[in-house]
Amino acid sequence: MFVGRSLRISLTAFLAASGCMAGPVLAGTIAVPEDLRPGVVRYALATGDAPDAVRTIGAMKGKDAPLLRARVWLDSGHRHQGLEELRRIAETDTYRGKASMLLGRAALEQADSQEAARWFGLAARYGFGEDKQEALYHLADFQRQAGAPERAGKILSGMDAGYWAAVGYGNLASDYARQDTNPARALVALRVALAMTEADQESDRQEDLRNRLLARAGYLAYQNGEYDKAIGFLEKVALDSPVTPLALYFHGLALAERGNHRAAMQSWHRAKKFPLAYPGVADAWIGMGRGYDLAGYLGQAGEAYLAANAAYESERVTLRKLKQQIREKGAYGALVKGAQTSDLEWFLADSRTMQQPRQAYLMDFLDTPSAQIAVARVARLERLDDRLSQEQSNLEVLLSELDHRATGGSVDEGTLRELRTEGNALEDQVEKLLEKATGPAQQRRLAKMERILGDANTALAAVSDVGSGDMGVGDRLKTLLSEIAGYRKRASALRATAENRLNELALAYVDDQDQRMVYAYDKTEQQIAHLYEYLALENLQETSQ
Amino acid sequence: MHGSQPLKGCLKSPKLLASALVILLSWVCIPGAGAATLDDRIDQLAAEVNDHSAKVEGLQESLLYPVNTRLTVFLTLETRKALDLDSVELFVNDRPVASHLYTPRERSALEAGGVQQLYIGNIESGAHSIRAVITARSADKDFVRREASHPFTKRPGALGVELKLGARAPDFEPYVSFTEWK
Repeated sequence: MFVGRSLRISLTAFLAASGCMAGPVLAGTIAVPEDLRPGVVRYALATGDAPDAVRTIGAMKGKDAPLLRARVWLDSGHRHQGLEELRRIAETDTYRGKASMLLGRAALEQADSQEAARWFGLAARYGFGEDKQEALYHLADFQRQAGAPERAGKILSGMDAGYWAAVGYGNLASDYARQDTNPARALVALRVALAMTEADQESDRQEDLRNRLLARAGYLAYQNGEYDKAIGFLEKVALDSPVTPLALYFHGLALAERGNHRAAMQSWHRAKKFPLAYPGVADAWIGMGRGYDLAGYLGQAGEAYLAANAAYESERVTLRKLKQQIREKGAYGALVKGAQTSDLEWFLADSRTMQQPRQAYLMDFLDTPSAQIAVARVARLERLDDRLSQEQSNLEVLLSELDHRATGGSVDEGTLRELRTEGNALEDQVEKLLEKATGPAQQRRLAKMERILGDANTALAAVSDVGSGDMGVGDRLKTLLSEIAGYRKRASALRATAENRLNELALAYVDDQDQRMVYAYDKTEQQIAHLYEYLALENLQETSQ
Repeated sequence: MHGSQPLKGCLKSPKLLASALVILLSWVCIPGAGAATLDDRIDQLAAEVNDHSAKVEGLQESLLYPVNTRLTVFLTLETRKALDLDSVELFVNDRPVASHLYTPRERSALEAGGVQQLYIGNIESGAHSIRAVITARSADKDFVRREASHPFTKRPGALGVELKLGARAPDFEPYVSFTEWK
């Protein structure tokens, strides 16, 4: 009976049915319906999986297709093709602003500011929303860097409130603070920047920028002797930000200037809870000693200085260990990967980014653009190798399955012939009955039978199309596997170079941190010396009386 | 008295000022161009690897999910801001085949018009059913769980089923619709 028979279908039959023996895998085998392809590519781009979309872009149609294709090319390493496509788009009316924006960013990456300014100009003219604001920000920043803050200010004043305008005013404030002896202009720019951040829709980004702006405003107000204003700014800084320790330190300074030493010491005590990696923490340790000194508790001041020195020495040991680990495991393993692995239970790990020394050093290290680039480079190569390793494993399993099938026999030709004959006979019968069918109900039933038989014949055709055999696929799998081995070798060599560059940066950073601790230690030693000197003089005075 | 010395001395020292300013003034990331050659080489390798991966994926897809038996399920959002998607569970013929917990990045990708390929697998020709269990937070902040099922007939040839989620104001009652792509 037809349904009771078992068919041993070889892998070759599957391959023949799917058409994968017909040469390179092209768009025809893509499992994504044409209408959904742009959406699938958009999803891959938005989730950072652009390489997964490489296969889909060739078969994509519609007005979004060129831009999506260009973005996938750029994200998957086909920089030249991506830029070519973007230049073509920038000459059309569709997505002209977006394409110009991407071209501007690419030129900026290559440090070609002239070309970048040209593209950002077009993006500002033809772009919309965030793209337009980002382009305007870059144009303003070029003016600022060229020493024309007024022209930069003019561009910024025409921007919509939001993240990019806030960053622009923040940069302007930095320039004013460097140039002016009076921080009034810088503070005005920072106030505008703070107002602009309110319109930013991305909460994490907004919070981070706001904290940095507040810390900076607090510092400038403190420098100008406006202590209440400084305290007002600094008290608005969130307690879980990387600038929190610095803000707490400045807050303590401002309070001390107001004569409130007790409250100042409370701020420094809170700053001390953060790892010494964060700016402001080492100063807060010294501040505690100074606070006791100012309050007249000289014995406790001495103890606080000694405690600070012990903390600095302990930190230097930590830094030496970190340096040793960087030499042994590389900076990526010791700093980046090491910071990711934690013994903390997940339910206790909420604030670990702020409290763990290694994580703190990683965050501080990654605050510099060169470190970001160096780490991103190694991470990219690691992802590439992970991908290749997974593919290698999958292909090896497929190859072994193919070998297994090849030795286990293939399709039973006799059974196939028998099924085909049976199917043809049934089709003839259905056709004859269709001619004689009297009512629509009979016609429907017979049409359904005809469709079922058609489907069965299609399946049989696929199964029986055992033409080129398993050898072709096996060879192809082996070729792909040897290609993977070659790519992994190249990726490994490039990773070694990239890791060396990262190691150099990380070691220099750790040395700087060590120097910072040495400096803080010397400073504390000086304070202790002053204190002992003062006590000795007091003692002498008392003895002489 | 020793304590009368100005406290801000430790801040005004140039090294401390410099370290504070490094943090405060680092608004702008200017990428270094020094390692352009290495980056170019990495780009070149990435391009080759991604092309190669596309070939491998195509081959694997063809081997594991032949056209005649292939079923692919996609997920899209019809109303983009009305639902904060938390998770999706997918059942084919009451057998669990896929489940996904959404990260904020994936949610925003769907909201930006992205289409997620939720499942790819094989089923034989004939009558089948798909059931989806959605948990989400609607725009009026209610937590919702909805089940929807869709009977369909698989015929030889690839079949794609699009699972479209939506919720309309004012009550933001979520709904799921299915579209078949042959």
